[in-house]
Amino acid sequence: MTHTLLFSIAFILITVSAQTVSADTATGKQNLPTSTLMTTGGPFSFSDYRGKVILIDFWASWCAPCRESFPWMNLMHQRYLDRGLTIIAINLDSEAPEATAFLKRNRADFSVIYDNEGLSAETMNVEAMPTSFLIDRKGILRHTLTGFTTSKESKHEALIKQLLNETIR
Amino acid sequence: MHQKILQIMLIVSFISACSNVGVKPWEKNILARDDMQLIHAPLEAGLDDHIYFSKEASSGGRGFSGGGCGCN
Amino acid sequence: MQLNTEVRDKTKDKSRFQKISPALAIASIGILGANETLAKDELDRWDFDTAVLLYAEADDRVSAVEPVFSATRAFDNGETLNIKLAYDTLTGASPNGATPSKQKQIFTRPSGKGKSTIASGESPLDDTFKDSRVALALNWTAPINREWEYSTGLYGSKEFDYLSLGGNASIKHYFNQKNSAINFGISFSSDQVEPKGGTPIALAEMAHKSDDDFKDTHKKTREDDSNSKTIQEGMIGLTQVINRQTIMQFNAGFSYTSGYLTDPFKLLSVIGSDKSDSDYGANFQDTNSNNIYLYEARPDSKLRHSFYWQTKYSVSNGDMIDSSYRFMIDDWGINSHTLDFRYRWYFTLNKERDSYLEPHLRYYSQSAADFYQRYIDSDDYQLGDPNFSFASADERLSDMNAVTLGLKYGWRYQEGKEVNIKLEYYSQSHSGKKGIGSLSNQELYPGTKAVMLAIGYSF
Repeated sequence: MTHTLLFSIAFILITVSAQTVSADTATGKQNLPTSTLMTTGGPFSFSDYRGKVILIDFWASWCAPCRESFPWMNLMHQRYLDRGLTIIAINLDSEAPEATAFLKRNRADFSVIYDNEGLSAETMNVEAMPTSFLIDRKGILRHTLTGFTTSKESKHEALIKQLLNETIR
Repeated sequence: MHQKILQIMLIVSFISACSNVGVKPWEKNILARDDMQLIHAPLEAGLDDHIYFSKEASSGGRGFSGGGCGCN
Repeated sequence: MQLNTEVRDKTKDKSRFQKISPALAIASIGILGANETLAKDELDRWDFDTAVLLYAEADDRVSAVEPVFSATRAFDNGETLNIKLAYDTLTGASPNGATPSKQKQIFTRPSGKGKSTIASGESPLDDTFKDSRVALALNWTAPINREWEYSTGLYGSKEFDYLSLGGNASIKHYFNQKNSAINFGISFSSDQVEPKGGTPIALAEMAHKSDDDFKDTHKKTREDDSNSKTIQEGMIGLTQVINRQTIMQFNAGFSYTSGYLTDPFKLLSVIGSDKSDSDYGANFQDTNSNNIYLYEARPDSKLRHSFYWQTKYSVSNGDMIDSSYRFMIDDWGINSHTLDFRYRWYFTLNKERDSYLEPHLRYYSQSAADFYQRYIDSDDYQLGDPNFSFASADERLSDMNAVTLGLKYGWRYQEGKEVNIKLEYYSQSHSGKKGIGSLSNQELYPGTKAVMLAIGYSF
């Protein structure tokens, strides 16, 4: 039946071409697009955190993988705060009450900034929810982590440890 | 044969026309709601399909669930 | 068989934020026991959905009960596994295709054993199809990477005289910051029917139990003990986010069925069509004064194309509108249009917007198959040498309009848990060529009316 044959060939070709895609973790030294991030909750200055490793995480209450990442971020905060890790979670809920309700049910030990107009997400070119940016002690953007699944936890933790081990010099 | 080529061209142009329509990743709060999924009640959809398949001469067409949340 | 993955993209993640910290976990293992905690954790990763449908037609026609059960498990990498089990049992009777008559009519059961008697003016019904069916479907969806996802499934169902097995596979590509997705799928299934007494020869005359040589004549109308058909389907789908409140789906597909497509339980009445004859409009009879009924015959292949468009819209107050249109056309001459509309109105029972009322309206219309005819004119029957190869009086192939009117109530009493109940009314009307002569006094197109009740519980 020619219909099915054509369809099946197209199907195989598409499946094969699916193998060529960019990774979820973009690595490389980049300058941050700005030194001060504007948010509806006020400006955030990267230079205030010089010397620390910063994990900036963009999240929202309605995003299921964001919910999954909270326990892991709490764990990272607990383990590496003393070693110089700062976690800043920027909330992008357009309805701020939904974010506060979420935080009542899901404990966040790390700092939360509210940016309900998404200005900072726009500046940082966020492409998916959630997205995290790892910035080293010198203020250089080193890793962009797009999306979250629990299977990525150990890999992301290894990247954090690696950056923590670097000195500022 | 010409019809088939025309159909394919139509589909391709349709798809490329969509390449700039949409919202920012953080603006998908409404679309992430359970009831905004394309097939939000899969069992009900399956039962309905079964009834109409048994009583009418058409079936299917609905196909796959979509991706409203756009997370990950 | 349709390409319906029926797996939600995201499962309710009620369990994720209840995960206890490592220190507490170790402590509690001592209290609860390692196996119990593991079991509870495992169960938390599953979502369950159950429903039962009760269907009943007017005038003692078909009734059905169908419970279904679905379980979905999400995995750490974003994969999901869905298992669905359905059981349905049908009772009652449905039209066998013959026309009602002034006289009583006696039909031989397709198996050859037993007969059914239809009174004068009654619609000839046949209950041979009543049966129970079990169906199982497995579906697996997994991401290949951020932009690509694949899905694959297996399906099987079994009735006493019917077996169906199938599989499907699809691949989905996200683009435009996941505002768009294109889905490409194929499916294949194979069905086997083994009716008691075998399948009848196309357009053979039904043997009458009252005849002396019944056993022989009946045997001569039988063909194979079993018959099969295969279905191949393909579909391209485009999902597109329009704006914050609107998402649309466009599907274009084809379906090709080949094999034994005839209904082995249906027949057609031959009606005297010679105006000058005394039997004009009456059942045409053989030399034994028995009515002549022919077993129906359908082509051995069917190619169908479909186009589907769905829109989901969130109203500013949070209510939801779901509307869709489907157009189908096949090479049997059947064109159909389906319009479906639902409005979900949310209100508060206990907690904010935890309940909804959802009215539903569906309109369906189809044009008849080329070989559909309500009855056969004796002039076309040509004393046993018909001038046609295919014929069916199955009302499901006729010109038809159908309306469904329904109301659903749902109560989400807890995060991830909902109970719902739905009541619907379905009315189908058919049309076709009118009865000639005395047949015009009979109701040839009574239509079908049914009531459906569905109760669902997801947890």
